[in-house]
Amino acid sequence: MDIDDILAEVTQAASPQETRDLQELTRAWVAERVAPEILPYPDALMERVLERIRKQIELVEEQTGNMDPKTNFRLIVIQTELERFKFLVRSFLRARITKIDKHPLHISQNSLSYLSQSESRYLTAHQTLLSSHYQSSFLSQFPTSLHRLDDTTGGISMVDAPDADTAVFCRALNDVGVVNVEGTDRAFEINRGDCWVVRWSVIRDSVLAGDVELI
Amino acid sequence: MELVTVIPRQRLEGLNLLGGPTPALTPPHRATLPLWLALLLKRQRRANISPPPWLHPTSLSAILTFETDHAGAAFSPPPRLPPGTTSSPPFLPSSTVDAAADALPYHWLELGEILLEAAPDDFEDPDAVRRLMRDLRECRMAKLRAGVEVLEAGGGFKMNGIGGMEVSEGRAFIGGVIDGLRKIGASREQQRRDKEREERENGYTATAGDDYDDDEMDM
Repeated sequence: MDIDDILAEVTQAASPQETRDLQELTRAWVAERVAPEILPYPDALMERVLERIRKQIELVEEQTGNMDPKTNFRLIVIQTELERFKFLVRSFLRARITKIDKHPLHISQNSLSYLSQSESRYLTAHQTLLSSHYQSSFLSQFPTSLHRLDDTTGGISMVDAPDADTAVFCRALNDVGVVNVEGTDRAFEINRGDCWVVRWSVIRDSVLAGDVELI
Repeated sequence: MELVTVIPRQRLEGLNLLGGPTPALTPPHRATLPLWLALLLKRQRRANISPPPWLHPTSLSAILTFETDHAGAAFSPPPRLPPGTTSSPPFLPSSTVDAAADALPYHWLELGEILLEAAPDDFEDPDAVRRLMRDLRECRMAKLRAGVEVLEAGGGFKMNGIGGMEVSEGRAFIGGVIDGLRKIGASREQQRRDKEREERENGYTATAGDDYDDDEMDM
C-alpha cells in the first residue's frame, strides 16, 4: 500500500454515503441513456435513494406551515434539491422504459433479470395486452403458422435486438488494459482517465464491472 | 454535482440534503457548495462565487496557446486525476478555487458559460474571459471537425480532454459515421470474424451471427 492508496481511503471515507449514492445514480443515469441495451437495475441504490426522497418529502410537508423566514429559505433549498433528485430518478426510469418498449421480446428472452419488479410487471402486462390486441384485430385471420410474434425460423428473426456494436463515448475509471475489436485489426490500451469512442460490445463487461463509465 | 467555492454574505446553517450535507456558511469564510446551490444563493445576493483558477484570463490564454501551438490535433490534457478514487466529473472538485489552473475540466464550457451568465460581477474581467472562452471553443470545435476524417468502422478513438458539451455535440455525428461505416463493411467483418472463430475452435461456424449479418445488409 503506498501513499496514494492511503489518501484514496481517506477521501473515500470523507465523502458521505449520500454523495456517493448521488454519484452512482448520476453514472447509472448517463449510462442508461447512452448504452444501446438495458443495464442491470441498481436495486439497493434505488431503494436507498427513494427512501431518502420519501423522508425529505415528509420533512417538507411537516415544515411548510412554518412562516419563519429562515426556515422558509431552508425549505426552498431543500425543495429545489428534491426536484433535482426527482428529475434524475424520473429520467433514469424513463430511459429504461424507452428501452423496454423498444425491445420487449429481446429483453424478456435475454435480460429479464436486469429489470426491477415493477418493470418486469410492466413488460409482461404490456406484452399481453399487445398480443391479445393483435390476435383479435388481425392475427386470428392468418394461418396458424403465422401467429407467432417471436418467430426465428427462415433466417430472419422477428425479435428486434439492440445493436451491441453501437459506438459509445466512455471514460476509464481504472486501467483496463489492451482491448481488441473483434473482426478488425484494431487493438488499443485503455488507461485510467482516458476517454474513448468504442463499440459498446468491446467495453460492455468493463462498464458492468465499474472500470469504465459511459459519458 | 459540480462544486464551486462561494464567499457567503449571510449566515446559513448546514443543511442535510439528499446529495449529502452542506457546510454551515459563516461570512467571510469561503465554503464549497454544489453549483446549483451557489447559483441560488448568488441570485438572492446571499453569496458571491469565486471563479475557479482556470477561468482566469491568464490561465485561459495559456491553455489557448497550448491548444493552438503545442497540442496538435489532440485536445489539451484534462486536469490530473486525484490518485486512487474512481470519482469522475462532475464529482471531482475541478472548479473550486483549489482546482488546477492549467487544465480545462470536463464541464469547462458549461461551467464557464453559467458563471459568466450568473455572476459576471465576480470576475475581474468578464469580457476577456468571454472572449478567450469563445476562442478556445472555436479552436476545439475545429479539432473535433478535423478529427472526423480519421473515423472508421472499428471505432476506438482516443479523445482525452474532450469536454461534456463537445461529447454531446459530436455524439450523433461521430457515432453515426462509425456505425454507418460498420454497416457498410459488416459482411466483410463478419467473414473475418467467422474465419477467426473457425481457426480458434477448429471447424465451428456460428449460424446465429450469419442471420444477424443478413439482416443488416437488407437495410
